[in-house]
Amino acid sequence: MGGSAADKLRKLSFYLDPVLATQLLLPTAVLSLFLIAPLLLVAYVATQYSILDVLSDPTYFSLKPRGSPVLILRTFFRGREVTIVKIVGVSFGAVINSLINAVIVTVGATVLGVTVAFVFARYEFPGKTALRILATMPLLLTPFINVFVIRKLFDWRDGIISWLICDVIGLPLRLGIDSIAGVAVAQVMTFFPLVYLNVYSSMVNIDPSLEEQAENLGARGFRLFRTVTLPLSLPGLAAGAALVFIFSLEDVAAPIVFNEKRFISYQVFSKFIEATTGQLSPIAAILALILLSLALTIFASIRRYVTLRQYAMLSRGGRWKPRTRRPGVKGLMVIYLVLTPLLMFLAFPQLGVIVYALSERWTGPLPQGLTLKNLWSIVGDPLVSRAVVNSLTYSLSSLALIVLLGVSASYVIARARLPGVELLDLLVTSPVAIPGLVIAVGYFYFFTTFFRGTLLDPIVSGPSLLLMLAYSVRRLPFTARAVFAGLQQVHIALEEASLNLGAGRLRTLISIVIPLISLNLLSGALVSFVYCMSETSTSITLGGLGGVGESHQAPITFIMLDYLNRVGGPHIVASLGVLLISLQLLVITLVNVVFKQRYAYVGV
Amino acid sequence: MTRVRLKGVTKRFEDVVAVDRVSLEVKEGELFTLLGPSGCGKTTTLRIIAGFELPDEGSVFFDDEEVTYKKPYERGCAMVFQNYALWPHMTVYENVAYGLKVRGLPAREIRKRVNEVLELVGLKGLEDRYPNQLSGGQQQRVALARALVVEPRVLLLDEPLSNLDAKLRLRMREEVKKLQKELGITTIYVTHDQEEAMSISDRVAVMNRGRILQVGTPVEVYTKPANLFVATFIGRSALLRGKVVRVNGGRVRILTRGGFKLEGVKLGVKSEDAEIVAVVRPEDFSLRPLSGANVIEGEVELVMFLGPYKQLRVNAGGERIIAYVDPEENVEAGERVRLYIRPDDVKVYSAEGWEELEFE
Repeated sequence: MGGSAADKLRKLSFYLDPVLATQLLLPTAVLSLFLIAPLLLVAYVATQYSILDVLSDPTYFSLKPRGSPVLILRTFFRGREVTIVKIVGVSFGAVINSLINAVIVTVGATVLGVTVAFVFARYEFPGKTALRILATMPLLLTPFINVFVIRKLFDWRDGIISWLICDVIGLPLRLGIDSIAGVAVAQVMTFFPLVYLNVYSSMVNIDPSLEEQAENLGARGFRLFRTVTLPLSLPGLAAGAALVFIFSLEDVAAPIVFNEKRFISYQVFSKFIEATTGQLSPIAAILALILLSLALTIFASIRRYVTLRQYAMLSRGGRWKPRTRRPGVKGLMVIYLVLTPLLMFLAFPQLGVIVYALSERWTGPLPQGLTLKNLWSIVGDPLVSRAVVNSLTYSLSSLALIVLLGVSASYVIARARLPGVELLDLLVTSPVAIPGLVIAVGYFYFFTTFFRGTLLDPIVSGPSLLLMLAYSVRRLPFTARAVFAGLQQVHIALEEASLNLGAGRLRTLISIVIPLISLNLLSGALVSFVYCMSETSTSITLGGLGGVGESHQAPITFIMLDYLNRVGGPHIVASLGVLLISLQLLVITLVNVVFKQRYAYVGV
Repeated sequence: MTRVRLKGVTKRFEDVVAVDRVSLEVKEGELFTLLGPSGCGKTTTLRIIAGFELPDEGSVFFDDEEVTYKKPYERGCAMVFQNYALWPHMTVYENVAYGLKVRGLPAREIRKRVNEVLELVGLKGLEDRYPNQLSGGQQQRVALARALVVEPRVLLLDEPLSNLDAKLRLRMREEVKKLQKELGITTIYVTHDQEEAMSISDRVAVMNRGRILQVGTPVEVYTKPANLFVATFIGRSALLRGKVVRVNGGRVRILTRGGFKLEGVKLGVKSEDAEIVAVVRPEDFSLRPLSGANVIEGEVELVMFLGPYKQLRVNAGGERIIAYVDPEENVEAGERVRLYIRPDDVKVYSAEGWEELEFE
């Protein structure tokens, strides 16, 4: 009894009715085919070639530094003798550069993020809300153009900082940050809020009595911070730092804008420029495999602090009344005279994007002429308007698949009592940890190899379907996590009561479960949608495979990159940036204010 | 009307045996209660009957039809959940009508039956309220109406009154019993409250550690507990540990640890010299001499006046005894008293399992 195969089948069919089986098999099949298979193919292609080809090539790997980190030059510039200080950084080849850069960016972003988080989590002062909004501004995705503004800040010729030092204050000094160093600075400025938000969320979730106990035993000031507050914030710190590290590794925007080819991400991207012929250099596969291994190693190594699940959705907490106090006079001076200007500086790129979009020219240090014609080009320029329509089409189609897969998978994960459900959970959440460039490389090989000559071959039919699938897979975690969180709040008895009264699984799902999680589902879907619209990695690589003609299939971010180096192009790119900012603000407002969903989100 | 039978049902959760070889039969139209402490397997047994759990072994029958592998929505049961499980996004009317809509009944028929059942449970006029606009008692009635309206083969009630306050619980207890008798639906009721079980049930099954220890009418279970667990779980009792001195037919002579020689009824005692526990209901003690009665002597430690009786705590040779005596009795703490007990009221059980008992 209990052991025979027929008996096991009977038991399985009791727990796995047709609806639940479909909900299990559909996401598993889609993700196996369009995530796991392409990744395995990357690994396969990479191992067909010797990794030594990469490691022995000084373009990728070198132990001897090239260049000098700082260039100092005394020369005449615009009729005046000045000292030019250019910070550029040294190169060890793309692979080492990417690693060193990621470490520097992670450390920089962590120091900034923890400081800001600590001040906001523990002090109460007038204007705090405004400063908190300012601190999250860099998270508003404006691909390429925010880095373009950062480059403009640090340009030694027409940069704003050099202009302030030399032309306004009058010191004979011009400061420039460029090349490798420029990439590092741009990434710290862009990514520090990831650490700030994660650590802040950890800190407000610390039971106040723990800190009170420590104070009671005599720990004060920095000692209290070092021995109690910081260790208890480690989960947030680990999550934030890991995200920054991986974002830095896979970021293409900063290297492209600084025209710095000596990074893995730029190298992978550049291989796609020749890929319209149907051939992709195997170096791309090797580099992609290196990226993937690094990303997975990082996530695996911090698993003891945080599970993957937490990355896609951070609880904003609020269980405790946070322990805040009023800072003294010195503290207030630090907050208003140091922190406020710093946060304004860090948020400047996003403000700069808006200024760019509204100005006629910005070649010198200051913008000139107010105009709406750049914004109008979103509709008026046929290439641009087509890209907007493309992005909307891809994002909305992806969203349909995301909702179907997200609801199905999360329901199975939350409810089915089957062995191996954890694997589905891992499968659904893993795209958060997988660099988009790796997916792009995998998709290229996968679809040009197995779907050659079909509708899914990007060389023949263009990239539309590939992009929809890539968006669906990459942005699935946001919806899946939101739905899962919703299901956790729905008592299982509410579903059992429906089954008990004679309703089948599908009817129970439609009339009980989905109405009860509708706000979570809607919020997750909106977040997925907005990050589909601003998706960069696969968009700028696969997106160009259809060519850039009048009936191009490229999405917004591809066109942003394409217009960046055209005359007057940056203003149009900035307009698209403004469009994306507006969308993101709209979604944030809807999710947080209208739907009252308490979670922060992080775009990959 | 439906008869429910369980045959050798076993359910394990990982290493824990939640339900252990349970067999029972619930008669047509009967109100049958599964009674036991929390974690005894009573709710799991109910969920197996409802079809939410699949037993590892054994089978479930409704009349002569085996339903073990039937899905919950194929069984025609209706359950009232402990937390009511009312759908917050539906009104009272929609909640109650749901089961009828699922059955595809015409709208007019649905309206008629929902109205009837709402009248029956006294919720007329609250149709358009949402569950969060109702009191606990009203929510309870909606849950009951939602289950009754589909005219289920079997009505399952999982601790339905445990979330109500004490006064309301007593009233709802009576109403549930009245409704069940009126409608004559076979009903299985789960509770940990032995007083509730005694007052409401036709028959009770006492469960512990996944097993059924005794099935019987409330009177049988109270007056003739089958073992030490049932004796201590149902009602209050004075417990006296000791040894068997002599077995004499249905009677047994024991020596308690406090040094008293008592005559009692032999229930599950094997041999002379065996470790035993003598169980005496507090109301069976008397301060007045009774002919042929056992006598226990001790010092009164505490006297509490509880209305119908006085509760004494007596230290009898080191063992604490709770006794209820006539409220008119003049007895003070510190006094030495003699307590008389009829041999028929001393139930002697083997002390096996003593360590596992939990005391208040």
